[in-house]
Parts: sequence; C-alpha cells; structure tokens
Amino acid sequence: MRQPDGSSIVLTTKLQSMLAWVRKNSLWPLPFGTACCAIEFMSSVSAHYDLARFGAEVVRFSPRQSDMMIVAGTITDKMAPVVRRVYDQMAEPKYVISMGACACTGGFYRAYHVVQGVDEFIPVDVYVPGCPPTPEALIHGILELQKMIQRGETHYDRLSQKGAGNAESASI
Amino acid sequence: MQNPLPSKLQSLLLSSEVCPDGHVEMKVERSHLLEVLKGLRDDPACSCNLLADICGVDYPDREQRFEAVYHLGNLDSGQRYRVRVGLAEDDAVLPSAYSLWPAADWFEREAWDMMGIQFEGHPNMKRILTHEAFQGHPLRKDYDASQRCLMTEDDLMVPDWAKEDQASADDFETQILNIGPSHPATHGTLRTVVRLDGEVIDRAECEIGYLHRCFEKMSETHGWNQVIPYTDRLNYCSSMINGVGFALTVEKMLGIEAPPRAQAIRVILSEFSRLMDHAVCLGANLVDLGALTNFWYFFQPREEIYGLLESCAGGRLTVSYARVGGLSHDVPPDFEERCRRLLKEIPPFLDDVDKLVTTNRIFRDRTEGVGKMTAEEAIAWGWTGPCLRASGVPYDVRKAAPYMGYENYDFDVPIATTGDTYARYLVRMEEMRQSLRIIEQALDQMPEGPIITGDHHVALPPKARVYSEMESLIWHFKLVFDGIHVPKGSAYGFTEGANGELGYYVVSDGGGQPYRVKVRPPCFAIFQAFPHLIEGHMVPDLIAIMGSLNIIAGELDR
Amino acid sequence: MMKDVPTVNVDRPPSSLLERIYLGPIFSGLGVTLRHFLRNLFGKKDIATIEYPEVKRQYSERLRGRHILTTRDNGKLRCVACYMCETACPAHCIHIVAEENPGEEVAHEKVPRIYEIDLLRCVYCGYCVDACPEEAIIMSRTHEMAFSDRDEAVIGIEELRQKGPIEEADIGYRPYF
Ligand code: SF4
Ligand code: SF4
Ligand code: SF4
Repeated sequence: MRQPDGSSIVLTTKLQSMLAWVRKNSLWPLPFGTACCAIEFMSSVSAHYDLARFGAEVVRFSPRQSDMMIVAGTITDKMAPVVRRVYDQMAEPKYVISMGACACTGGFYRAYHVVQGVDEFIPVDVYVPGCPPTPEALIHGILELQKMIQRGETHYDRLSQKGAGNAESASI
Repeated sequence: MQNPLPSKLQSLLLSSEVCPDGHVEMKVERSHLLEVLKGLRDDPACSCNLLADICGVDYPDREQRFEAVYHLGNLDSGQRYRVRVGLAEDDAVLPSAYSLWPAADWFEREAWDMMGIQFEGHPNMKRILTHEAFQGHPLRKDYDASQRCLMTEDDLMVPDWAKEDQASADDFETQILNIGPSHPATHGTLRTVVRLDGEVIDRAECEIGYLHRCFEKMSETHGWNQVIPYTDRLNYCSSMINGVGFALTVEKMLGIEAPPRAQAIRVILSEFSRLMDHAVCLGANLVDLGALTNFWYFFQPREEIYGLLESCAGGRLTVSYARVGGLSHDVPPDFEERCRRLLKEIPPFLDDVDKLVTTNRIFRDRTEGVGKMTAEEAIAWGWTGPCLRASGVPYDVRKAAPYMGYENYDFDVPIATTGDTYARYLVRMEEMRQSLRIIEQALDQMPEGPIITGDHHVALPPKARVYSEMESLIWHFKLVFDGIHVPKGSAYGFTEGANGELGYYVVSDGGGQPYRVKVRPPCFAIFQAFPHLIEGHMVPDLIAIMGSLNIIAGELDR
Repeated sequence: MMKDVPTVNVDRPPSSLLERIYLGPIFSGLGVTLRHFLRNLFGKKDIATIEYPEVKRQYSERLRGRHILTTRDNGKLRCVACYMCETACPAHCIHIVAEENPGEEVAHEKVPRIYEIDLLRCVYCGYCVDACPEEAIIMSRTHEMAFSDRDEAVIGIEELRQKGPIEEADIGYRPYF
C-alpha cells in the first residue's frame, strides 16, 4: 500500500502517524461563512474545484460532526461569542483555517465593530491571505494543513504533546 | 424645473428648492415634520408612496448639531423628495414616521444606533447594527473609528416577549425557537427568534448586525476612490453594481460623466453581475428547499463570468474596477468574444434549471402562496427590485430614472402578480434572460474611446505620461496625496442593484474624503418586513421565504 | 411614468393535470440530469472540475496576487520611497522607511530602507500599483499562499524584490494605461 506522498505504509508504522494520515484525509469542514469569503468557499466545494478530491467534501454545519473550522468572512464583535461557542462545541481533534484578510487580521476594516483577527479568541492553524482568497488558495491552505497534521505541528498536536490534555485546549 | 410642492405644504416649510440631483429639497422645523411627511404622502400632487431612506448627519460645528434627512419618492411619477430637519445635540428627538410608512422601522433604529437620534413613538427603539453592550454612537464625528467595545455571550439579544415566554415554561402551548446566526439556511449571519404555536410561527423578530463592518465610518476615513473597494463588499454577489453606483453618485456631484465606452462596459459587467447574483440567490434558495443539482448547474456559468471579471479587473469577486470618472483600465482584447461566448453558453443552463424546477410539483407546492406580499404593503415597507416586481409593481430604476444609457437598450421588466415565493423565483429567472438581452445590445453598440475621463482633477493621468512628463507627475502626485475635491454639497444617487434600489446619499465638505456616505441597501428595507411575512407560516416556509428574498448580509449590515 | 414601462408578465397558469401527477416534470428533470451524466461519462469535454493542484486554470494576466518590487537594470530597486503607495493603500498595510540613497546616482535621491507589506492585511485591490509613479511596485499572479503565523506574513524588501528578468516572472496586475 502506498501513501500519496510515496512512502509505503507498513502495519508497524507508528500509530501516531497512521492516525495523522487518517485525520488529514478526512477533514470535514465546518464553514463558518459570514461574508464574501463564504461565496468563494462555495466555489471551492462546487464543481470547478471540488474539495471532495481531498477528502473534505462532507461540509457539516453541525460542530459536533466536523473537525476543521474554516472561518470565512469578517467576524464582528457581535459575532465573536458565537464563533467561540461553535468552536468550543467541536469535537477534538479540531483545526482552524482562517480564510481571507478579514478573518486573519481584520483586513482593511480597522473599525469599531470588527475583530482584528479571529486569533484573538480561537487558535488558528493556517492563515490564508486574499480578499477573497481564490478557491485555489483555499485548497492550498487545506493541503498545507494536511501537511501540518502529518508533521504534528498543529495547535492541537502541540497542546496534546504538552500534556495539557484535551480539555480547554482552546484557551490560548 | 418648477417647484411642484402644493402651497398648503409650502407654508409649513422653512425653505424649499429643486436640487441639481433632481430632488425637491425641503427644510422643516421638527414641530412640523410629521405634518409635512403626511402631506407629502397624502397630497395628490406628491403622493410619495416610497420612503427610501432616513439618514442622520453630524455637523459638530453647527448650532443644530444633527440633521436627519428623509428621502421619499413617488414611484408612479418618479419624482423624488428630500426633507431635512435639524436637531440640537441635547434634544435629538424626532417623531417617528412608523405610523406613516412601516419602512421607517429599521431606518429609524439605525439612525438611533449610528447617530443617537431618538424617535418618539417608535415601537422598538433599540440598537440594530451594533451589539447591546456597545457604548456611544459610532457615526458621530467625535467617535474614533477604531474604538471597539467588546461583548460577551450574556449580551446576546433576546426580545422581551421571548424572555417572558421562556419564564413560563409550564406553558406547553408555545415554544421559542432561535434560528441563526450561524445556520446554513440563514446564509451566514441572520438571526430570527420565533415563537411557535404548535408548528405555526405566531411571532417573530429578526436580529441583524452580525456583519456590521462599519462601511460608512470607513468611507469617511478614506479617499473618494478608496471607497470603491469597500463598496465591492456590500453586495458581494454583484460587487460591480455597487462600485458603479457609488462612482455615478460622485460623478453627479462633480458634474462629470464617464466616457461612453466606460458606460457600456459598466452596463455589460453590471448585467453579468446581476445575472450572477440571481443565480446565487436561486441556487441557494433551491438548495434550502432540497434541490441541490441546480446549484451546481448555476455555478458553471458563474465560474465563467468570474473568469471574465478577472480578465478585466484582476479580481474574481471583489473587482474594484470602477473609478470615479470611468474604469481603472480598458477591457482585454478578447472581451467581446468572451462575452458572446457566454451569451451562448448561459441560456442552456437556465433552460436546464427551468426544466428541473419550474413545473415541478413539489417546488410549486412549497412556494406557491408562501410569503405573499401585496403591492401596497410591499411599497409601504420600502421594497424595491425583483421582490417588488413579483408583487406586480413594474418599478425598475433602469426604466424609471435611466442612467448609464439604459434608456437606449430595449428590455422588458418582468412582473408577476401573486407576490409569493414562486413569483419571486419566476421574476428572477426572467430577469436573467433580460440581462442577456441588454448585454447583447450593449456589445453591439459598444463605442471606442477612452475609458476614463480626461479631467486630471479626477482621474489619474495615463501612466506613460506620468513616467515622462513633469506636469502629469504633479497631477498624479496631487491626486494621490490630496484626493479628488468634490464640491461642497450632497446628492442622492440611486441605481438598480440586484435586489432593488441601491441608493447612496453622499455629503461632501469639499475635502479629499467624503463627509458622510449613507447607503440605502435594498435588502435592509426588504428584510424588515420578514418577521411579518413569516407569521402564520411554518418553519420550513421561513427558510423558503428567506431564500427568495435574497438577503445579502454584507449589504444588509454594511 | 411607471405605466408606460414595457413589462412581461411571468405568472404561470396553475399546474396542468400532467404536472400535477408529477410524472411528466420528474421525467423531463431526470432527462436533464441523465444527459449531463452521460455527456460527462462519455464526452469528457463537459467536466468542469479542474484537477488542481496538478492542473491549473488559465489565469488572467491581471490577476492580483502577491506584490513584486521591480528593479532597474543594475539590480537596484526602482522604488524612490515617495510614499504614494502607502498613502493610496486602503488597508494601510504598507510600511516604508526611507533613507538617503547611499549610492552615487543623482537620478533619484531616496531609497526605502524598510519596505514591508502585511500580506494578511492586504486586500489585493491594486491601488498601490495604480499609485506608483515609477512602476516600482507591480503584482504577480502568485495567489496561493498560506501562513501558520501572522508575523510570517509581513514580508520585506528581500522577499518582495523581483527575482530575475521581469519577462519571465509570473506577473499579474500592472499599471495598464
Ligand atoms: S477578506 Fe475580503 S472577501 Fe473575505 S470577507 Fe473580508 S472583505 Fe470579504
Ligand atoms: S493591493 Fe491594496 S491593500 Fe494591498 S498593499 Fe496594495 S493598496 Fe494596499
Ligand atoms: S509608490 Fe512606488 S516609488 Fe513610491 S514608495 Fe511606493 S513603490 Fe516606491
């Protein structure tokens, strides 16, 4: 049996990397789409770019069933508690991709009602720049996250290595 | 133009005149405001049936610090009216116009939230765009643009009637249900709290503002042309239309016009954007109703249109293509060919969707008679665009007040009479075909020539000259650092957005940045009728109705 | 005025019997999806999916991606640190610190000591490109980027500097007129 990256898997492969391989190829996204970026997210899952090819087609709007949150769009102060709550409800392991300038930093809205980056209150694994990022850029970001999972470099991995346990992993 | 106000009204006014933007402008005292508004509505010489917008403006240096500006219109004659009323800072209270036009509901709440103008007699005077824990009124000039107020989960809005109901939990008859803001069928950021009696909704309230990105404050802190990227993000499904609308308004104030070629390109791309917007609206609406395939069919031509926009402007969704005075650059050489190919490719996709859905009984059963709106009610709520036309009113800004040469194109305004969800679907389908007609004509007539005005007070000089000539370099330098100087004054420009009348009320103090920009987003007026529309329906109908109204949060919340 | 607008009425008559028994429309609907299915199965031409990342679509020459600071023939930056791009940027994501040109040329007196763009703030509007009087900043078509850290995204002169001859670079949005 061969993995996509060419290395062979023997059953004695460390359980860890096996797990990581399983996880990275079945990332079920929870699109937290609020604005323009959500439209480009829709383009990414639709026929032209077809996110399904990367095992991420099962778009779930229920936080309980998904393990990758894609924050697509501007998050305002009014929305922030909602994002946080949805994130808390997700089952571990969980990863966050922040899509677009707004979600990453607030973008050009340096304004009274806009969160200056979702990393103010949830840990972000991959930042994808663009306004909106093209579907290719988003897919690139997801591939990047897959690599990070394989290498064990995500926030989730770091926390579990530290032995902080699963509870309260989000309190950074 | 003659001042068409009846003398009975004239006597109540401080002054009145006809403005360069075609509006009849009046100044009134607060004590006469309601009387004047009522007169404007009921007097046969005016009969303003549409309350388009209410806007607050802050002038810290004036004795009467605030000014409320009402925009009214008569849909039959097309005449527009503007009423201004000044208010002192310590007594910023106005009588509510809610009893005259229900459309005043959210516009007044917005004026309170943004500017701190109170409306007496308003049934629900609360903040609307910002959150409950917000301090101050952000559009006042002394409010710092980046001053944030944090909110916690405890501040989540729950209407009073819902709280009472929750308290009496032993009452099994009714149940409170919260839908959104993060719910797939609410398109991101809309929240509705409903009370169910059995399965029927008997009371509802919407909470919006989850995507309030401070567009208006941002416009005040950026140059005239820098506002255009922000407008792209209002209705992001058809960003071209927004930018063009803003540019047209500023051009009106400057007294210039974009060259004919720019106008034609603007028309073509606007119509493509409209098509795309309707495709997303219908696609999403059908997905919510369980018909997924159409969504994929609609996305195919959409990708092609994106490709076209990208080849012209460099961006797929947020194009930033319009500039005050024209466009940022000319279309690529294969533009016409690509457009013509699209004109051929799109109709088969529309036909496919037509075959799948239009006569499908399940779809008809779920949408016919659902979310009905009569013509009078719709106008009173301030509805415009496809939703109003589905109720039988043939009001389309492209016909009523043609701009950008729409008067030269031959197209029909689709109308339906039933005013229900099905009618809105049919109207949108037909509008897409009409857009194709317009594009075809515009392509046939496309003139050659420059794509931006040659006035170097407004438009950056051509790059080749900037690199070589001192004079052009100086113009360039001045424009970048000082910005355009728009003459002092104000104007209301309105265009037909994908959802209806998209208005910009722009105030300039002569500087390089707008003094105040107020958007009149079509969704805002449409969505405020939503709670009333769903009462008596069931929850699945709520989803169908919301989808058919095409609420775009970016435009709704700004 | 509204009365003489040409209109087309799109009301539909109530469902016909055929439509109400549901079978007609369902078969014509199935026909549509079947047609697409068969065409995609045997025709191949119709498949919309682009096998990204192996295959890429044809990008427009104006695509607004990551910026490039162009250089003169002698390898020095064209930029004269005039701050125009910084002023025109709606996101305020460009940060420039100028210094006197340490070189011998008199043609332009200043050069940037620091030129940073925060790629995560940037909204890729192209206003900086339009504002530059020297064609010193243009955009590439590189738009697939991902960062795992916010500081990583603030890139300076070395990353932005044009690599190799401009004809071979993957250039996107440039000043067009
Ligand atoms: S990053 Fe740009 S496209 Fe995305 S939500 Fe923000 S403004 Fe919209
Ligand atoms: S593209 Fe726009 S946002 Fe980005 S650096 Fe240039 S001007 Fe600023
Ligand atoms: S506008 Fe051009 S020359 Fe001036 S600082 Fe920016 S990149 Fe340099």
